[in-house]
Amino acid sequence: MKLNAKQQKNLKILGFLAPILIFSILFVYYPFCRNLINSLYAVSDKGELLRFVGLDNFRSVFSRRDFRQFFANTLLLTAINVPVTLFLTILLGRLAMKKRRLSPVYETMFALPMSISMSAAAMIFKSMFSPTLGCVNAWLGLKLGWFESRDTALYTCVILTVWMGIGFDYLLFQSAFRGIPREILEAADLDGTGFFTRLFKIELPLISPTVFYVLCTNAVLALMTSGPMILITQGGPSRSTGTLMYMMYASGFGSSNYSLAAVVSLVAFCLTFGLTLLSFLFERKKVFYQ
Amino acid sequence: MKRYTKERLWDALVSCIAIFLGLIIVFPVIYCILGAFKTPAEFASPVLLPKSFAYLENFRNALHQAPLLRYMVNSFITAFAGSFIRLAMAVCAAFALTHYDFRGKKLCFFFLLGTMMMPGDTLLMANYATVSRLGLLNSYLGMIIVSFVSASQMFLLRQKFLSFPKALRHAAMLDGCGDLRYLLTILLPLCRGTLTTLFVQSFLSLWNAYLWPLMVTASAPDMRTIMVGITKLNSWEDTNYELVLAGVTISLIPSFVLFALMRRNLNKDNTDGSLNG
Repeated sequence: MKLNAKQQKNLKILGFLAPILIFSILFVYYPFCRNLINSLYAVSDKGELLRFVGLDNFRSVFSRRDFRQFFANTLLLTAINVPVTLFLTILLGRLAMKKRRLSPVYETMFALPMSISMSAAAMIFKSMFSPTLGCVNAWLGLKLGWFESRDTALYTCVILTVWMGIGFDYLLFQSAFRGIPREILEAADLDGTGFFTRLFKIELPLISPTVFYVLCTNAVLALMTSGPMILITQGGPSRSTGTLMYMMYASGFGSSNYSLAAVVSLVAFCLTFGLTLLSFLFERKKVFYQ
Repeated sequence: MKRYTKERLWDALVSCIAIFLGLIIVFPVIYCILGAFKTPAEFASPVLLPKSFAYLENFRNALHQAPLLRYMVNSFITAFAGSFIRLAMAVCAAFALTHYDFRGKKLCFFFLLGTMMMPGDTLLMANYATVSRLGLLNSYLGMIIVSFVSASQMFLLRQKFLSFPKALRHAAMLDGCGDLRYLLTILLPLCRGTLTTLFVQSFLSLWNAYLWPLMVTASAPDMRTIMVGITKLNSWEDTNYELVLAGVTISLIPSFVLFALMRRNLNKDNTDGSLNG
């Protein structure tokens, strides 16, 4: 049978689109639905559905003390991480806005953390903040157990996650600052506008889409934090650093409690969904402004 | 004239501050590299610099304790194959969505964009169950199969493809150039910059991935990637930090090479889009 032109075209389209569609169903949409189903069923430790239990899983998870603690930890970590990262990266982006002779040097240094993996960074920070051998305690003359004491562990994790996020966000701000139309800045200069007025009244409003974009994407990343906990603290000491994603990993992978893992991941999804949508919106705007 | 010198002084001051901040930011990396050359006694003292850079015992021990080179090869294979397949799928999808008209085109587009709404981490457990049911645990394919779909790459390439004039394709068609040949010999070479940037970015992210490779290769130490391998160099009871830092330093070398490549690319075609991959 000879195919006509139209059929041939359709076959081509299918060939181009089928792979990505199949894989997005298999590894994005299917697992998402699977989470929904697992959260409503009792699931065996082999992953088979045993029986429908309705919202019982949610009820039992929400009443767990460790879940509440981990939920609070996640929000606290995000609430510190996001403003600190924003402040630092806006500062760095503004510093690097003008091209100077030494620009390539410090630009490279600012962006470097983006090339370091979470596991390498965690190993480095763990040794830097080691209570006996680390340089931080030695130089500050302290005897803090940064990752080992329940009062400081979460904050030390925040230092690590902020450091991890600096590189990429700084680059976004740098290109946003550099994208501000030159005429506007020259007009401000002619008017004799002071530095801070210029920064807060002209530059920041103009790059506000980037600010909101970074805010949203950063909040999503922070809500998903699990690396430092898996690598360094194991959620401890006494649950002070556990996060939702750590709980999902520990309950699903560690103890094969799939319905618990599903509930936790759905909660995390609900937390991030709105933020992800908003970041799309701001990304559109950002492109539009420049 | 006066204003000019004032501005130059100001620039010098800002550069100094920026370099100072930069040093603080890269300090952990410097600390790691210097620490890798220290003897245990030197490490216990708060002096930053090791006595000599000829002390290579830590590197030797790290390579002896775990097959780090084998892990590097594993990382390289998975990162290379993963980035290649990911990019190929994104190119095909972007081409179909820009060069053909068909029913359900919009739907396909939003269906793919929708994958960006779900943070990958929340899907880890469910994907782990799928991959283990497919019998792909401890295999290269299992390590990369979940990262084939990248809607953001598809989106960027679509924008890029749309920026070429329609006349280009008509001219190619008149010359008897089929769709596939047009894509491979005309369109893709024109997008070389974007393609390189996307490839390097995704190579770096796969190279640096930790959680997924850790889960998939849990029962086969041979299959570990380098980023999983370096974390197994230390145990809680016996923390030999010099050794760990030597392993980390080894693992960082390829990361730095990729970083340099990426920066060169970004400087070359400083398009807004290439940053958002």
